[in-house]
Amino acid sequence: MNILVCLKQILDPEVPVRDFAIDSSGLQADPACANQVTNIFCENALESALQLKDLHGGKITVISLGPESVEDSLRKGLAMKADEPFMIVNNNGLLPDSAAVAKVLATAIRKMEPFDLILTGRESGDWGAGQTGGILAEELGLPFTAFIDEVSPEGDDRLILRQQTDSGWQKFSAPKPAVASITNSDHNLPRIPKTRDIIMANRKPLTTWTLEDLEISAEALSSNQYKARVRKLSIPESKSECEFIEGDTTEEKIQKLADKIAAIARAV
Amino acid sequence: MSEDTSIIITAVVTAELNTATAGLLGAGQRLAKETGGEHIVLTSGGSDSEFAAKVKEHADHVITFDSEDLANNQPEAWLNTISVVSSQKKPSAILLGNDTLSQEITPRLAHRLGGASSGDAQAVSANGDTILVTRSVYGGKAEAEIELTASPAVVWVRAQSMEPAETQPTSGTIVAGDVDASSDIRNKLIETHAEEAEGERLEDAQIIVSGGRGLGGPEPFEELVALAKVLKAQNAASRAACDLGWVPHSWQVGQTGRKVAPQLYLAVAISGASQHMMGIADSKAIAAINTDPDAPIFKHCQFGLVEDYQNVIGPLKTKLAELL
Amino acid sequence: MNSAEATREVLWNISYGWIMYVLLLPTAAIGAYGVWKRYKSWKQGLPAEGRLDNPGKRLKYLWNHALLQRRNLRQRYAGIFHAMIFWGFITLTIATTVVMIDHDFGIPIMRGAFYLYFQSLFVDVLGLLALVGVVLAGYRRWKSKPGRLLYTDEASWILIIGGVILGTGFLLEGWRIVVTNDPWGAWSPVGYATGALFAQFLSNETLAQLHLWCWWFHLVLVFGFLAWAPFTKMLHPLTSALNIYSANLEPIGASLKTIDFDTAESFGVNSLNQFTWKDLLDLDACTECGRCTDACPANTVGKELSPRDIILDLRGWLHKGTDGEFSLIGSSEALESDRLFECTSCAACVDACPVSIEQLPKIVDMRRFQVMEEADYPETMQAAVNSMEERQHPYSGSQFSRTDWMQELDIPHASETDDAEVLVWAGCGTSLVERNQKSIRSLAHLLKKADVKFSVLGRDEKCTGDVARRIGNEFLFESLAKENIENFKKHNVKKVITACPHCFNTFKNEYPQLGADFETVHHSEFLGELLKGGRLKITEASERKITFHDPCYLSRHNGITEEPRELLDGISNEPMTELPRNRKNSFCCGGGGGMSFVDEPSDKRVNHERAKEILATDADTVAVGCPFCTTMMEDGINATKGDKKIEVKELAELLNEVTD
Repeated sequence: MNILVCLKQILDPEVPVRDFAIDSSGLQADPACANQVTNIFCENALESALQLKDLHGGKITVISLGPESVEDSLRKGLAMKADEPFMIVNNNGLLPDSAAVAKVLATAIRKMEPFDLILTGRESGDWGAGQTGGILAEELGLPFTAFIDEVSPEGDDRLILRQQTDSGWQKFSAPKPAVASITNSDHNLPRIPKTRDIIMANRKPLTTWTLEDLEISAEALSSNQYKARVRKLSIPESKSECEFIEGDTTEEKIQKLADKIAAIARAV
Repeated sequence: MSEDTSIIITAVVTAELNTATAGLLGAGQRLAKETGGEHIVLTSGGSDSEFAAKVKEHADHVITFDSEDLANNQPEAWLNTISVVSSQKKPSAILLGNDTLSQEITPRLAHRLGGASSGDAQAVSANGDTILVTRSVYGGKAEAEIELTASPAVVWVRAQSMEPAETQPTSGTIVAGDVDASSDIRNKLIETHAEEAEGERLEDAQIIVSGGRGLGGPEPFEELVALAKVLKAQNAASRAACDLGWVPHSWQVGQTGRKVAPQLYLAVAISGASQHMMGIADSKAIAAINTDPDAPIFKHCQFGLVEDYQNVIGPLKTKLAELL
Repeated sequence: MNSAEATREVLWNISYGWIMYVLLLPTAAIGAYGVWKRYKSWKQGLPAEGRLDNPGKRLKYLWNHALLQRRNLRQRYAGIFHAMIFWGFITLTIATTVVMIDHDFGIPIMRGAFYLYFQSLFVDVLGLLALVGVVLAGYRRWKSKPGRLLYTDEASWILIIGGVILGTGFLLEGWRIVVTNDPWGAWSPVGYATGALFAQFLSNETLAQLHLWCWWFHLVLVFGFLAWAPFTKMLHPLTSALNIYSANLEPIGASLKTIDFDTAESFGVNSLNQFTWKDLLDLDACTECGRCTDACPANTVGKELSPRDIILDLRGWLHKGTDGEFSLIGSSEALESDRLFECTSCAACVDACPVSIEQLPKIVDMRRFQVMEEADYPETMQAAVNSMEERQHPYSGSQFSRTDWMQELDIPHASETDDAEVLVWAGCGTSLVERNQKSIRSLAHLLKKADVKFSVLGRDEKCTGDVARRIGNEFLFESLAKENIENFKKHNVKKVITACPHCFNTFKNEYPQLGADFETVHHSEFLGELLKGGRLKITEASERKITFHDPCYLSRHNGITEEPRELLDGISNEPMTELPRNRKNSFCCGGGGGMSFVDEPSDKRVNHERAKEILATDADTVAVGCPFCTTMMEDGINATKGDKKIEVKELAELLNEVTD
């Protein structure tokens, strides 16, 4: 099976609240306030692909769009035993919107060998838009399912995709090639790379494309072309004042707590 | 209608009147009012269905589609249907709920119609020709105002947190839609498995008792279940507790779990990381029990108790049983 | 008779004495073969740097710990009886050599005063001591049976044979004295008494006959024992001495090896030929005493880890001659991967060993294999490692920023100032764990009180890598270390103070291996200097009854035990209480080796065990000097203290309380 996994590198979601800052443009987080890491759902997607390869053989290509730092994410993917990396370099200061990202990825994908399956993470830990996978599928004219936690082949031409829902799961039968966004589950925790593989991964060749190579003008990716444009980004003030329940004894405190909770419960 | 009248389409994929539907309809209704346009609701079922009859109190027009595929939640059937209707009606915005199906088809729909999409909107408003969406980003650390510049703006909203629709002075019309929903379904839904849900969905729950990593294992959650019973509440958990396998995944509340909006969210031994707060920010009241007075959760609480949950839950349950 | 002529007849009563020399040949051959086999197996190991250098220092070490038995004597009962047996047999060996020099080489030294005082009296007394030692050992092995010993037939036979050799020796001496009517007989009091006893019942003819038979029996027993010894733990007089000679003379904290990732064929150890020759010699030096397992905190609280069994099982494979294909990890119960990951890296095992075996580096070597070659190790440790890779600290999920503790303290960043005397290094465990932020704030206050100009690196601090290294991810450790070293160079850092012994140890002992060149001081040392120099004054000592929990990484790993005590002496008017296990014998808090990040089963918590020891004293304050110890002991004491009023306080907090 030929699988493509799209990896996004984002600002560390665990950046402590006090360090989190918005940059001078006022429209994105300051990239200097924390490290860049690979989005966890993209790693879940890669893990799903690796498990498919372990069982059914095939090749895994990883691709990422962003500044040169995304090479780290691609090399980590290689260390996990993905086969071939592609990097599309974009140093546009502002975050491109999902539709623009999807367009760029689709342009690149059309230059690559055909895939049976294209995976993205369900959303990214920074903007959490969750749109890129679906738009990418439409750009490529392919069907799409979201929140997948398990993929298995169905005969030669189709795939069974298991989707996590609010109340459980459902299964879809999709024709190849298919696009799916992956969500986390107990079974797709990203594998820890072996040190030897990390060292080997650092030596592998990396195909790098610029927007020019893809014949996409910088104009097309400028912010006034965005379909979803950030107008304002702010850090909300935490407004509530917490009333800490006091009392002479623990029992007294619990009683007060019970009173407060009961008052709300009765009103419901 | 004249070409100048804008149209807002609300797609209600699950034909049930619950908190989420009410909120979704409310969002559509208010947006239509804002734009001075018409509010059209798309749903499944016959035009004489009970649901359609209820919905028409909150919309200008209701179009129902009596299709098995739509009723069975085939996503591409919905995608095709809404797409066809929208090509005809040319809405300025299409709103959907936060169920799995709606989330999945939102980006695809937008692209097919040449529009822009966004998800998890906590507020939607009109801004001249464009639609503005307010949503929580960066794991709950920031709030963004996003302008959707292409039309239609396709947005799935945090339905259950939104104010429910009001009953309109004049009810809308009901029309049976005429779209072949079943054509061109490539991804086929072939199997559904629902976990036995005790009681209502978390998204609809009015009181939620939730536990976190601080509980140290699955056994203490049993006490929280007992406490919830007394309160006639639902149980939830932070991602940490779910990832550790202490409670079912369906209990997970947070950035990548359920988004809830209860009257009271009681957080037991939960530190209050921003990703968790993203799932509960719409709660009317948050209370916490935690041994650490500096835990971030307390910055979002209305009231709280700094105490070891082991000393609290049992007696609390007893006292609440007396009071209620 | 003239005492200058005192001597005895060698080989009295023995005809065909030349058979003895003949029997020497097979004895030597078999024995030499045994030793050679062992030597060959050590040679398969990799080179070990610096283990044979500095011979003067090494000989002194050998003198103290081999000949004078210093570490062995820490366990009184066993140490004493072993010393008696050891010195006794050395003396007897010297005595036998004297006989050989006099009789076989014809140099008349076994005469006169020397014969009387040394060869007769002294040797008899030491021989008796040895025999008493054997009896004491026998009581322990067969009656009181402490758990840490290994109860093998081999060990029992060794003891029995030793006793019989000694016993028959005295019999032979006694019978000879009687039958030859030795004029100097009384100079060998034990032999004399033995002979006198038998003379009461038996005639000289009988005694002479007994003497003949017993002499050959004694000879065959001794020769047989010598031939057999290299195949048993009785090789230890040789191997333990060699091992003590080639011991690690650096602080324990410097004993982990670096890896050249460009050339190393294997990362970590999973087969015998990936150990160094010193590691393999360690295995043969083991006398099965079990003190390491006894001292191990994990083992003490009921976990399965047993340093002794790790060594012995490895020794078993060494003797079986397993090759490079044979996987050591998981090859026996003691070598199960789970057990390797119960270790807190406290080094109590290394410190306890009387023959300088290094158990801890072998555990880390095998962890390295599991972590770097197999990527197979506990999930919680994986999370800590992943976090260090992504955000350069192991505290995944921490809400804190490294600069939180500095709020409102107005401390310059290292890049903002040129005249800082020292850099204060907070470390992850201190800055990202709320409880410990109080400790470093106290340190900052103290430095300000003393008018010390200091700077910090704030968000530019990256984990020193100690946790990564102990878990076994040497690759990550080296990459973090190199980044920190670069950063220090960039900011021209010359002297660093830290309140974390793990950071301290890594900076002091491990970073220089990777090119670092700066001075590191633990805050207890620095604060002590400030007090001595008058830059800091204690204004009003407290009335706290303090006890001190020595951090493993200060006491055992670096030999620093008195500086914190000097501080505490000044801090309180009440005299300090010592815990039973103090200084180098300190009992781990359970937080090292990556164990801070692991959920231990509730009935097997190392910190609870130490808490019990603390609660049994009359202290109302337990002083700690490490962020891991602080949180571990607070958790442990809170969980077990009941009604007792006792606080856990860091050294800086305590000093801050009593200074203005």
